[in-house]
Amino acid sequence: MKPETVVNFDVALIERARQGDTRAFERLYREHVARVHGLCLRMTRNPDAAADCVQDAFIKAWKALPRFEARSSFSTWLHRIAVNTVLEKRRGPANSEVLSEDPTVYEEPVMVFDTPVEEEELEAAIESLPQGARDALVLCGVYGYEHSEAASMLGIAVGTCKAQLHRARGLLKDRLERGVR
Amino acid sequence: MNEPQGRRVKRIDELKREIPPARDLWPAIAAAIEADRAAAAQPTVRRRSWMPAAGMAAAVALVTLGVFIGRAITPQAGATVASNPPTQSPYQPVSLVDAKYQAQRDALFTEVQAKLATMPAVERDKVSASLATLRRSIGEIEAALGRDPANALLQELLVSSCQEEMRALTAVRDSGSQET
Repeated sequence: MKPETVVNFDVALIERARQGDTRAFERLYREHVARVHGLCLRMTRNPDAAADCVQDAFIKAWKALPRFEARSSFSTWLHRIAVNTVLEKRRGPANSEVLSEDPTVYEEPVMVFDTPVEEEELEAAIESLPQGARDALVLCGVYGYEHSEAASMLGIAVGTCKAQLHRARGLLKDRLERGVR
Repeated sequence: MNEPQGRRVKRIDELKREIPPARDLWPAIAAAIEADRAAAAQPTVRRRSWMPAAGMAAAVALVTLGVFIGRAITPQAGATVASNPPTQSPYQPVSLVDAKYQAQRDALFTEVQAKLATMPAVERDKVSASLATLRRSIGEIEAALGRDPANALLQELLVSSCQEEMRALTAVRDSGSQET
């Protein structure tokens, strides 16, 4: 994950929230909600489900605050909770698809297009991806998590995460070329 | 989609990471947090306070009110007694009539004494005072019954007062087991 610029601000709020200050927690919510919601929306592909996941994730985060270690990134910790919440709501294994864990597959998460792609078209193409591939692409490609972090969040092997991302890239390229759906 | 007019991106990580929800989700989150806090606070309150004090205050009030009512109706009852002399044996205190009750009460009272010794001084004084008031009330009812053994209301009052005392003693004894 890329370094955050709000860490110090967060630390003070987190400390106050840990002591039961809901206003401090509300400020944390306001600061992080759009990012958490973006993640949940891309994973669930459903605005209502995403809102439910965001709500649940923040409630879980409040309850788990005493266990949060201030040295780690609050944002990553929150995203982990949000991803877990999405996975729980799916009521099934994170990725039932069996993929090869070939370590030689593409490892660079950042996907660069030959020609600029219209944002909405790209979002629609991501939305159309199979669940496992989409999860890997959203976490690694869009949110910048390392394979190990994304794999840990999704409860899959690092190799599987790489394979899913590789698959996502192929499908995405194909769908963009063909006009998405 | 066929007429692209929005922002274009060259890399996938240029997509917006922040997408605000359509509505403010905080009120629901805050409500859930408050509900959680309220639920968590309940056992804490129970743990920290000596609940028998409040329970006994109610019991004392009940018994005291009963004694007051008993006193108020005693002259009328006495008049009835005077016109219809009792045929049954003179009133005997509950302690003498029901040995089983007395044994249970004594055993409970011994446990309560031990529990009182562990209470903070202020709470101990309150609880002791309430128990003493209960006992005094029972004594007064017994005395009234001694003068008017056939008084059904006083008899009923005595039974309920003894039950209240037993409940209060049990509550004091069990107060330690509420702590977690």
